[in-house]
Amino acid sequence: MSRVVFDAGRRAVLAAVGDVLIPNADGMPSASEAGVAMRWLDEVLRLRPDFGPQLAAVLDRIKGADLAAAVERLRAEDPAGFGVLAEVVAGGYFLNPQVRSAIGYPGQESVPIEHEQPADYERDGLIASVIARGPVYRPTP
Amino acid sequence: MAEKGFGRVPDVLIVGAGASGAVAAKRLAEEGFDVVCLEQGDWPDYTKARAPYRDYELTSGRDWGWDPNARQSPADYPVDDSESDITALMWNGVGGGTVVFAAHWQRNLPSDFRVRTLDGVADDWPFTYEDLEPYYVRAERDWGVSGLGGDTAFPPGEGPPMPPVPLGRMGRRVAKAHNDLGWHWWPGPNAIATQRYGRLNPCTQRATCLWGCSEGAKASVDRTYWPVAVERGVLLLTGARVKRLLVGSDGLATGALFEDRDGKEHVQRAGVTILACNGIGTPRMLLLSATDGQPDGLANSSGLVGKRLMMHPFGTVVGLFDDDLGSWQGAWGQHIHSLEFYETDASRGFVRGAKWGLQPTGGPLSMTHSYPWGEENAIWGPGFHQQLRKRLGRSAMWGIIAEDLPEETNRVVLDPVKMDGSGIPAARIQYRMSENSRRLMAFHQDRAKESLEAAGAYETVIAPFIRATGWHLLGTAMMGSDPSQSVVDPWGRAHDVPNLYIFDGSTWPTSAGMNPTATIAAVALRGVDHLIAERRSTPTTS
Repeated sequence: MSRVVFDAGRRAVLAAVGDVLIPNADGMPSASEAGVAMRWLDEVLRLRPDFGPQLAAVLDRIKGADLAAAVERLRAEDPAGFGVLAEVVAGGYFLNPQVRSAIGYPGQESVPIEHEQPADYERDGLIASVIARGPVYRPTP
Repeated sequence: MAEKGFGRVPDVLIVGAGASGAVAAKRLAEEGFDVVCLEQGDWPDYTKARAPYRDYELTSGRDWGWDPNARQSPADYPVDDSESDITALMWNGVGGGTVVFAAHWQRNLPSDFRVRTLDGVADDWPFTYEDLEPYYVRAERDWGVSGLGGDTAFPPGEGPPMPPVPLGRMGRRVAKAHNDLGWHWWPGPNAIATQRYGRLNPCTQRATCLWGCSEGAKASVDRTYWPVAVERGVLLLTGARVKRLLVGSDGLATGALFEDRDGKEHVQRAGVTILACNGIGTPRMLLLSATDGQPDGLANSSGLVGKRLMMHPFGTVVGLFDDDLGSWQGAWGQHIHSLEFYETDASRGFVRGAKWGLQPTGGPLSMTHSYPWGEENAIWGPGFHQQLRKRLGRSAMWGIIAEDLPEETNRVVLDPVKMDGSGIPAARIQYRMSENSRRLMAFHQDRAKESLEAAGAYETVIAPFIRATGWHLLGTAMMGSDPSQSVVDPWGRAHDVPNLYIFDGSTWPTSAGMNPTATIAAVALRGVDHLIAERRSTPTTS
């Protein structure tokens, strides 16, 4: 796969369309403010170089257009292309540690299972209610 | 390789290193049989299991994707699904589908084996739940299954060897709602270790089971069975793509012609051959192995090879809650399951039913996807941050496994055009969802919505139908007692080729509405036990 170059022009389109998808609102930064078209684009493409060609094609296609309308058109006419664009924007956004902190997402954490004796569903009678209702299967005829 | 080269003629050749192949290989090795297994793929690379890292949501879909047409790894063969309502999903490598399965460990119910007798449709299985129950118990110990015995949806008997995964906040809420409704629920049975168990580490609830378990807690057979089988002397050849099975002039199977990674052909001979290639790969192999004497495909005098494909239409219903449920964490896996609407009730306008499993909903990137959230609920634009806060950690979803009935028009055939990387004809599937399946799914989605609403969901989403849900590939080499109406006998032996066995889900007469791995394992164990017991009376080529 030949390497696709994301020059300043393509990055500017990505920043602008990124802000259509993820605007600055509710105390959260927009996509471009979070670095989606800069540092995090580089990181996303390092992780998913397979996104490069399709992303470039989408950006070139919507360059200069009314981006809000272009997004709607893309979603209707090229769902796969929109999917790559959205994955790059949101994927990059959620790589940003400040964003992760702001939404309270620490990543998929290791939480060892603690087996209580008795288990919570036994202690509080949750499972006893099921048992009290009796069998619910049809036996072998 | 010096002492175990391709010239070795083992007692048994197994094609495919997924669940049923693993069960057979380990058991045969325990009994002293000499076994060779040919697997077209490779061992999973768990360095690509990125659960502990920031990039896991971005990379998991690429490295652990379920669709062979999208994945296009060297081990994959194309499956033309242009004439199918559902895309067939699989993992071609050591471990097979268990590498990426959700590990929901569901036994079938007694009624699943008596569909014709009880509901007047399809076919009964040639054995009963009670016949299979001892094999379920053994398989659950061998695999490492967690859960809680005494489930009121099943006959009494021994439960799994490990305690269940935690219900979690979402499981407790829904369980309480079901108690209020008088509906069944039970702690979820999963092929996930909740304690140290054999080669398995305890689960750490990262909720990434479907994309390569980074913890070594999910009981996929590449971790559980194959290392044991190999230690006991089984020769597992990876990168070995079988092109066709070979048959002698006496009509018995003599082994297989396969191609190695370098494209070089070899013949692997064996006394007995076992196919364990899943409900697409197995009929493909039988059709590829047609001979002058069996021009319609090997073991196909019934004409049923490839027919009766069942793939389980799949539904998802999501609930949004005010409270933080921590729903990006937990086993995935199922926290609880419900079989309240599993059994037939003719007043509903369809027969058979579905099993529900309550699952996490994923991390932030998953909250932006069109599945399960639906295009009409697209998150993009001014409401993005509010929607994200509503979904992330505050949602729970029921996954619905719907039984589809066997129909001969739903089938696997050889593709006349497409080929795999070795020039072998690809598979083509033709599958249409029946009216019964559509009604069944609509009913279950509505009930699952009610379940989540009763649990306090202020909003629910019925996920749009998508095609990429064919995880369960069943029925395409049916078992039965009558050779004119089935491909294999009740122990998996081909009626037409007495030293050829099929142990994967191809042999299922009906699909049940359950995740199938538990029953695939139990049926394979029953079959291989019978093969071992009958070995001396089984005609072989050696």
